[in-house]
Amino acid sequence: MAEAQTNETVPVTVLTGYLGAGKTTLLNRILSENHGRKYAVVINEFGELGVDNDLVVDTDEEVFEMNNGCVCCTVRGDLIRILGGLLRRRGRFDGIIIETTGLANPAPVAQTFFVDEDVKAKTRLDAIVTVVDAKHLPQRLADSHEAADQIAFADVIVLNKTDLVTPDELAAVEARIREINRFATIHRAERGGVPIAELLDRGAFDLDRVLAARPDFLEDDSHEHNEDVSSMSFEVERPLDPEKFNAWISGLLATKGQDLLRTKGILAYANEDRRFAFQAVHMIADGGFIGPWKDGDPRRSRIVFIGRDLNRPQLRRGFESCQAT
Amino acid sequence: MSGATAAPGYALERRGTTRDLGDYVVGAGFAAGTPAFALADGSLHLATGEAWPRVEAHDGGLLAFASAGRFFVTGGEDGRLARVTPEGEATELARLGRGWVEHVATHADDRGRVVVAAGMGKAVHVVDGEGRALKTLEHPSSVGGVCFDARGKRIAVAHYNGASLWFVAAKTDSPRRLEWKGSHIGIALSPDGDCVVTAMQENALHGWRLSEDAHMRMSGYPSKTRSMSFTRNGKWLATSGAESVVLWPFFGGGPTGKAPTELAGGDNVLCTQVAAHTQTDMVAAGFSDGMVVLADIGSSRILPVAPPGRRPVSALAWSADGARLVFGTEDGFAAVVDFGRRD
Ligand SMILES: [Zn+2]
Ligand SMILES: [Zn+2]
Repeated sequence: MAEAQTNETVPVTVLTGYLGAGKTTLLNRILSENHGRKYAVVINEFGELGVDNDLVVDTDEEVFEMNNGCVCCTVRGDLIRILGGLLRRRGRFDGIIIETTGLANPAPVAQTFFVDEDVKAKTRLDAIVTVVDAKHLPQRLADSHEAADQIAFADVIVLNKTDLVTPDELAAVEARIREINRFATIHRAERGGVPIAELLDRGAFDLDRVLAARPDFLEDDSHEHNEDVSSMSFEVERPLDPEKFNAWISGLLATKGQDLLRTKGILAYANEDRRFAFQAVHMIADGGFIGPWKDGDPRRSRIVFIGRDLNRPQLRRGFESCQAT
Repeated sequence: MSGATAAPGYALERRGTTRDLGDYVVGAGFAAGTPAFALADGSLHLATGEAWPRVEAHDGGLLAFASAGRFFVTGGEDGRLARVTPEGEATELARLGRGWVEHVATHADDRGRVVVAAGMGKAVHVVDGEGRALKTLEHPSSVGGVCFDARGKRIAVAHYNGASLWFVAAKTDSPRRLEWKGSHIGIALSPDGDCVVTAMQENALHGWRLSEDAHMRMSGYPSKTRSMSFTRNGKWLATSGAESVVLWPFFGGGPTGKAPTELAGGDNVLCTQVAAHTQTDMVAAGFSDGMVVLADIGSSRILPVAPPGRRPVSALAWSADGARLVFGTEDGFAAVVDFGRRD
């Protein structure tokens, strides 16, 4: 996350989605279309891909718990090894795509990019792209946790097979996605027909999009206990006191981390000309200064939460209390 | 050809032969006295003559390298084990299936009989020097490291939540399981075969003293330990992963409760490779800035071998007689340093 990271690091795109949603079709297009970029691909089902590519690596997802005893603090051991091997010869490709199995929880993949020092030093998580099937998504959401998690984690959502639903059904499914994740970019598609450039090398994870997100000024502060995944953002005008912010966010992640799927923030610290970027997956967090604030841009701090059982008034008060006095 | 830039005082200047091989050096070593460098691009380079011969060992990337005494063994992304002779002849030793061969360990006995252990996924495939399959050892999770004991009788394998110890010649295969929660990414056995040490994802080492069924914990590293090497008498374990060469005492009740000895310390430069000398209590060490030193453990004296100013040292090894040292870097700088040569 340091400034020096930009060009030295290899962008990684994580591709999630249920079996049958169109993930493999999309992957085949990425590998076969002539877009002038070369990708190494880490997949789980070798046979699915019709493309012959010496940069396709087959793996078994191996999730292990970190030694802090927490069930949500998990990383992908296989990825640490495979990325290490691939990155010895980084001149071979422009980027890396990691496909996850249909039922996978995206957290371990994302956390791997925060936890492992070597992966962190040599790669950057460019975006999590989730492919969903417009027709079957409502059913998926009804019968599993993972479908909502995959949407919650997404920076980019490909809403596929739109030709199989009516305009009303499409509007309803899109509204449902927005209830879970208001911040992801949604691309409608029929047969995975999204321009590749809209999916790869987006820098979606670089948090600038957090600034573009509209904060929840107008929404009411009533709190209902809710197991559904939702998303909310907050903004404060006065610069933050880094110590207060650290104390608040560490306490929040330690107590609520299992419910907080993703947290992203762009922060204006008092007496600091650079923007501080913060992000976390569950309780695993990372932060660093990114480029300076642009002249004339308001130096407001924004934070986005995507998770279960989010307590809006409590989060708002907590964030507001981090302002420097 | 490079190396002429070495400042006075570095052994590389007077005793080194160097080349720029142009790709990540995965491993380096000697077979029948011939030095070789294995590159991530799938090739092996024999350091003989003026133009070092290049041998193609793998179609695709090369991931693992070991010397088997009279020849070299490599593992690749193509799922193959290759055998390369010091004369430059490359043959397929074994085709292990689809997947990456990420670890290779070898043992050669006095009569030149060779056993090779190759880690691929959750399995360790054991073959002889002609590639005949001896056995396949299955593990509960992916293999993080493989090594033989000094006599070639046992194979130690690191994986998640511990390590497994197998007898090569056992009729029925059931390993001794050594348990410790977490991801174990490298392994070493003490020369007497009594201590198993693993490197862990969490920047620490874990150890088991087999005769006493006791655990050992060695921590305090700022990064992962990628390289471990016991001194020839087993008194010290040299390790990478800190801003110095960290040496754990395996005598006098250590390492548990003892502070390690640190040699060749500097600021912000990590030790990336270590290789204990084959005859004396000295250890060679490579750093993330390309520097290589030779440290005498008893006197703490440091002999500079190669100056900083390059990419991290990624491979380091001694010849069997301890007269020559080979090292390579992540960007393909390769050197043979001859300490036995008279000036
Ligand atoms: Zn956790
Ligand atoms: Zn509640």
